[in-house]
Amino acid sequence: MASIINTVRATVLSIANKNNYGYITPSDFNLYAKQAQLDIFEDYFYQYNNWIVKQNARVSGSGYADIIKGLVEVVDSFSLTSSYTPILNQFDLPNDYYLVNKIYFIPDNTEIERVSQSKILSLNASQLTAPSEMFPAYTLEGNTVTLYPSSTKSVKIQYIRYPKDPNWTYVSLSQGEPVFDQSAADYQDFELPLSDQVNLVNKILQYAGMSIREIPLVQFGQAEESIENTQQG
Amino acid sequence: MAYLTQYQYYENDGNNPENANWGSYQYVTLKDIVNNFELMYVGNDKLINNVERYNILFHAKRAIQELNYDSLKEIKILELAVDDTLRFILPSDYVNWVRISMYKNGTLLPLTENIQTNWSDAYLQDNNYKILFDQDGNVLKPEFSTVDIDRITGSNKTIYLNAESPYDGQEGYFYNGIWYFEYPIGGRYGLNTETANQNPTFKINKKSGVINFSSDMAGELIVLEYVSDGMESGVNADISVNKLFEEFIYAYIKYVILSSKFGIQEYIINRTKKEKSALLRNAKIRLSNIHPGRLLMNLRGQNKWIK
Repeated sequence: MASIINTVRATVLSIANKNNYGYITPSDFNLYAKQAQLDIFEDYFYQYNNWIVKQNARVSGSGYADIIKGLVEVVDSFSLTSSYTPILNQFDLPNDYYLVNKIYFIPDNTEIERVSQSKILSLNASQLTAPSEMFPAYTLEGNTVTLYPSSTKSVKIQYIRYPKDPNWTYVSLSQGEPVFDQSAADYQDFELPLSDQVNLVNKILQYAGMSIREIPLVQFGQAEESIENTQQG
Repeated sequence: MAYLTQYQYYENDGNNPENANWGSYQYVTLKDIVNNFELMYVGNDKLINNVERYNILFHAKRAIQELNYDSLKEIKILELAVDDTLRFILPSDYVNWVRISMYKNGTLLPLTENIQTNWSDAYLQDNNYKILFDQDGNVLKPEFSTVDIDRITGSNKTIYLNAESPYDGQEGYFYNGIWYFEYPIGGRYGLNTETANQNPTFKINKKSGVINFSSDMAGELIVLEYVSDGMESGVNADISVNKLFEEFIYAYIKYVILSSKFGIQEYIINRTKKEKSALLRNAKIRLSNIHPGRLLMNLRGQNKWIK
């Protein structure tokens, strides 16, 4: 698959590198790329919420006009499922989790409900709703999940992970320019879809513009991003 | 839950007990109710969103409890012998009684609830009728009150026309073809039909969790018909409800959740309230099983002459 990160870098350099003083080093680019990707990734969840509001107001369509479907597909591309066996009723979530979608026992697929710390004592004390094998619950403290009622049955967790940090890698310098190397062990492309390439360029331009104190560059990135957002509703 | 095969239904897949699934198709389980509700009535494009599963579970159970109290007609029946202290301990899942009968000589005899009390608490008193307390300031109580002791020993009397009636076995006079009695019963004031029952009587002590019987009941078999709340002693897997009430339960959960949520328009709450009530009426009518054949049998006696 074609590398997005190389195209993004080339575009950013092409726009920013006026009179050769807007050059962005690979390490700086990787930092800005990480920031930009995280920003856009988080924005998917807010967009999802906004589009639900619009859908309920009957201002979104179905079929190709079903924007939510596209957003869900992108978010789902970050979905992972892992298995755990609790020790003393507890287990730790993976380090790269962004949000937990569901936790369930295996093999019976009984979903474990997330309960807030403020409610768990009352819930345990309730005759009608106390967590049970059929309707289990969990609380989250830091990265640690605690199961109610106490159980050592294996669980599966389906979660949305953070995107991996993008890393534009190179092998050597040729005429002062680093040569892109997609085969490096630590190479990492953007994980966002190709449709986000424009957003990535705009975001990175803003960071790069701030870095070299080139306000027109920042403004250009902001203006482009604003136009993009307006078009997307 | 998946549908059962015929073999699973009739033979429980060869496991014990064989009858585990008999009649199960009439019922929908609590798990199914909660699952279906979450699936069909909760979502970003639904009236209800952001509701915890335990909320749904609570209201589903409350609906089942309410239905069990009257509409469902799920009567439980328990047979036990009355002990020497003439008590029948209420079942662990007892909520209210429907009928209490004595099973004797192959016949079920419905018993009457005594309109008077036949049990009492008591406090210990000294010779000056002062109540006695222990060192912690709690009142001292005897194991049995006098009313209880007399009932257990058979020395108390009753206003019912049974063996414990104060007039039982007393003689009258037969003069000029007419019977005369020296006590206020029958001929003098007319029969009190409310107490004209010769079977033993009972009175329920709800707080103590026992049924107290009159003194001629020791060792007798009692059949208690009662209603529970359907919670099956807290075993969620055993909780189910008749399918005729399934739609009502969804409507009930929807109504109570919406009516307790902030910012829901009143017309939506009213709509769900009407839906809930209408579905309850429908389910009750369906469950009442008014069959033409049964009506015909009942109406057969309408033209019978009372001689």
